[in-house]
Amino acid sequence: MTAGAEGRGEQATTLTYASVSGRTRRRLVFDRLIPWLLPLAFVAVLFPLFDMIFWVAQKAVPTFTLATLTETQVGFGGGLYSMILGTLILIAIGTAIATGIGIAAGFYTAEYAPPAVASFGRLAGNILAGVPAIVLGYFGYYLLVLYTNWGFTTLAGGIVLGIFMVPYVYRTTDVALTGVPPTQREAALAMGARPRQYLLRIAFPIALPTILTGIFFAMALGLGEAAPIVYTAGWSSTPITGLMQPTSFLTGAIWLFYDLPPSEGTLLTLAFQAAFLLILIVLALNVIVQLLSDRYRRRLQGLFE
Amino acid sequence: MSYENQVAPLMPDPEPDSEPLPAEAAGNRPAAPAKSARLGIPRSWWAWIGSPVALLPFLVLALITGVLLNASALRNFGWSFWSFNYNFLPQTPDQSSWGIGVFVLGTALTAGLAIVFATLLSLALAISVVVYLPSGPSRVLNMLTNLLAGIPSVVYGIWGFVILAPYFGITVEPTLRAFLFWLPGFGGPASEIGSWGILLAVFLLTIMIIPLTTALMRSALQSVPRDLVDSAVALGATRWEVTRRVRFRVARRGLSSAILLGLGRALGESVAVAMVIGGVTSIPVSLYSASTSLPSFIFFQLDSAFTYPDLLVLLVEFALVLLIITMVVNIVAQRLTQTELATATTVGTLLSEEGELER
Amino acid sequence: MSAESVPNPNGVALRVRHLSVRARDRAILTDISIDIPDKEVTAVIGPSGCGKTTFIRSLNRMTETTHGLTVQGSVLYRGQEEIYSPSVAPVLVRQRIGMVFQRPTVFPISVYENVAFGLRLEHQPEDRIEQEVEYSLVRAGVWEEVKKDLDRPALSLSGGQQQRICIARALAVRPRILLMDEPTASLDPVSTQRVEATLEELSREISIVMVTHSIAQAARASTRTAYFYQGRLIEEGPTEELFERPKQELTEEYVTGRFG
Repeated sequence: MTAGAEGRGEQATTLTYASVSGRTRRRLVFDRLIPWLLPLAFVAVLFPLFDMIFWVAQKAVPTFTLATLTETQVGFGGGLYSMILGTLILIAIGTAIATGIGIAAGFYTAEYAPPAVASFGRLAGNILAGVPAIVLGYFGYYLLVLYTNWGFTTLAGGIVLGIFMVPYVYRTTDVALTGVPPTQREAALAMGARPRQYLLRIAFPIALPTILTGIFFAMALGLGEAAPIVYTAGWSSTPITGLMQPTSFLTGAIWLFYDLPPSEGTLLTLAFQAAFLLILIVLALNVIVQLLSDRYRRRLQGLFE
Repeated sequence: MSYENQVAPLMPDPEPDSEPLPAEAAGNRPAAPAKSARLGIPRSWWAWIGSPVALLPFLVLALITGVLLNASALRNFGWSFWSFNYNFLPQTPDQSSWGIGVFVLGTALTAGLAIVFATLLSLALAISVVVYLPSGPSRVLNMLTNLLAGIPSVVYGIWGFVILAPYFGITVEPTLRAFLFWLPGFGGPASEIGSWGILLAVFLLTIMIIPLTTALMRSALQSVPRDLVDSAVALGATRWEVTRRVRFRVARRGLSSAILLGLGRALGESVAVAMVIGGVTSIPVSLYSASTSLPSFIFFQLDSAFTYPDLLVLLVEFALVLLIITMVVNIVAQRLTQTELATATTVGTLLSEEGELER
Repeated sequence: MSAESVPNPNGVALRVRHLSVRARDRAILTDISIDIPDKEVTAVIGPSGCGKTTFIRSLNRMTETTHGLTVQGSVLYRGQEEIYSPSVAPVLVRQRIGMVFQRPTVFPISVYENVAFGLRLEHQPEDRIEQEVEYSLVRAGVWEEVKKDLDRPALSLSGGQQQRICIARALAVRPRILLMDEPTASLDPVSTQRVEATLEELSREISIVMVTHSIAQAARASTRTAYFYQGRLIEEGPTEELFERPKQELTEEYVTGRFG
């Protein structure tokens, strides 16, 4: 081939960097440049993260005392007690609902449902995860506040939060069970295990860490949501007394106090303290998730090879 | 040798039902033509009773849509609904000035710009993790982006409102105006109110969706078969060329789906945007203008809507439009990718980390 | 042929000396020394896990794509140039020493673009690419079958055609040496036969190193054979000799099918 002959004779005598020129040289130089450009993205993403944590801590920590956690906000004073309590109860209701619906639906989708039904369920789950939180809030307001005539209640807030969390639990359960290696199933069934025995004794233990990961993840997201509960759980400064009462919650504290004028600065500080507390909780949940998946990794090391 | 079995599927088998089951699995039950998804159980009452359970998420979704449709009764949908003219005066209700245009424009601007920036940054992060970094730093980076994913939107909001806004007003915006005035949108006047406006909202949205898009892009890039990568390397492609010409190409559906899911998230974000965008219902003249968006507006206004039933109905219709837009975006995103892992959830993050088992 | 424009003084395509490969604390290859002759087909045989795949991957620095592998010893390109020298660009090594994999690895693009892949990297002019694509497909023995389908997605072809597209793709960058990792392992007998015929054609112009688990294939398609066992090179020589008069007992046991 004459077309291939030009330049190839000389070029072929050596393989060194020094021997390349023109286009090839540009390619190699560009390839070397890329790794130097990518860290710019790290800075662009991680700097804001640290900046945020720094400033929130800076605004919150100097006045953060035990009283911040144990006292109820009254007027311009007090602490976050009622909001912490409210958040815990809301997230408890939400987790209960999301876990119940999510795990049941995930189980059936992964193991029992005919393929068409399963893929439809998955699609619906993914779409549900993409429904804006504020739309859920409107839904909850209409159905659970107006239609039922409950007014603002903790229960309504918890239910909407649960619906918000469902898709995360549902999809993780499904993915965790579908991800159980088929060899495990075949081995179990070949040994004469009944399907239900296989599910409970083999599939579920293998899938459990992933499912738990999903639940913790859903909790972290639920904790930080304001849009679905502001208009369902309402607001009440006093500590919650019953599920059919409105309640305060941490994200709500931020939403209500963030734009108060400086003359009411103590409440702004309270908002920052709520933010600080939320970051701490999210951090803790992250650590739990990390530990869980590390343990999972170790335990199942041999399984996927 | 480690790489001889390298191609062990990173994702669970997309069609588990296609695997033949051992004959024993069916036990002594009569063989049935249709099998349930995995267990190979003949379609008995179990599967039929189970089906609705699997459809619970769909039922919830249908319930949400139904309630909103019922609440709105589609009262205001008409030509004027799509106008850019919005002015709600409770004393003199006038349907013709209840247009959704400004809100759609604000939403499109903020979410659109945010997804552009987020795509670039998360592509860079995902490439770094998948292609360039060794596993130690990769895990640290993953942990940090996961942390970013968990930060509540109100926290972003208060940080943006109290800390960032003055900084944007004093430093960022004048700098951008000085250097980028020739770009449309960058040369205009400052925000009418404080320094809250589109730019700040875009910044927060970008940071907020990056964890999701990064996680999804990472798993898309990781799912590119190693054989293909090796083939390109063996043809004399540099690392960057392999990434651009093979990884991007093979994973392009997954990458597009990641972008769309990020867009969906940005379109639906209410609280953080509500806190920093200024809430002005006029057409923005520059990127520094205060503006509004669908989700942030309906979040902001529900308070007043308690008092005015007309406004409430209008807001429900806005919510319906928002719901439909995000649904369309999400469905397209789902259609794009075959892998079941690409959920709209950031759970993909956690699972793709477990994918490292096979790496 | 341009490949012949530089005379190869010693008739050696690759001279391997004391090559050892370790994966962390495990030795995969130990002290391999062998000369790969120019313009012949060298078969590498041995039971699975004997390190034969790692061996050919270490011949064009593909080992570097696997984390944790360390390579010691030397590989001299054309008997002269150390490919592991720090001043050598791996990209150039892989352009000269191509590789074809066990499973067909066509990219999800058209047949034409697959074969043009390596040329596009260098931004060759389009008419040049067109010529090379056709010529490479001819050399890979698949031109007649795909000349009407150049714009079809390569994935729509049969497995055997895909594998020969991969060979064409590797040939398009004009390598001097082609490394093949069980190129017919996933093919049916007819396709296997075609690929083997292609190899014979190609060996007139370039050197081929082929890993195979099929003893019969080594006997059919190669002129020299190297037998690997547990990371060591046990025996190496002209194929006929190795099969008929093996010097080592291990080799004899393997080629006569007593184990492996």
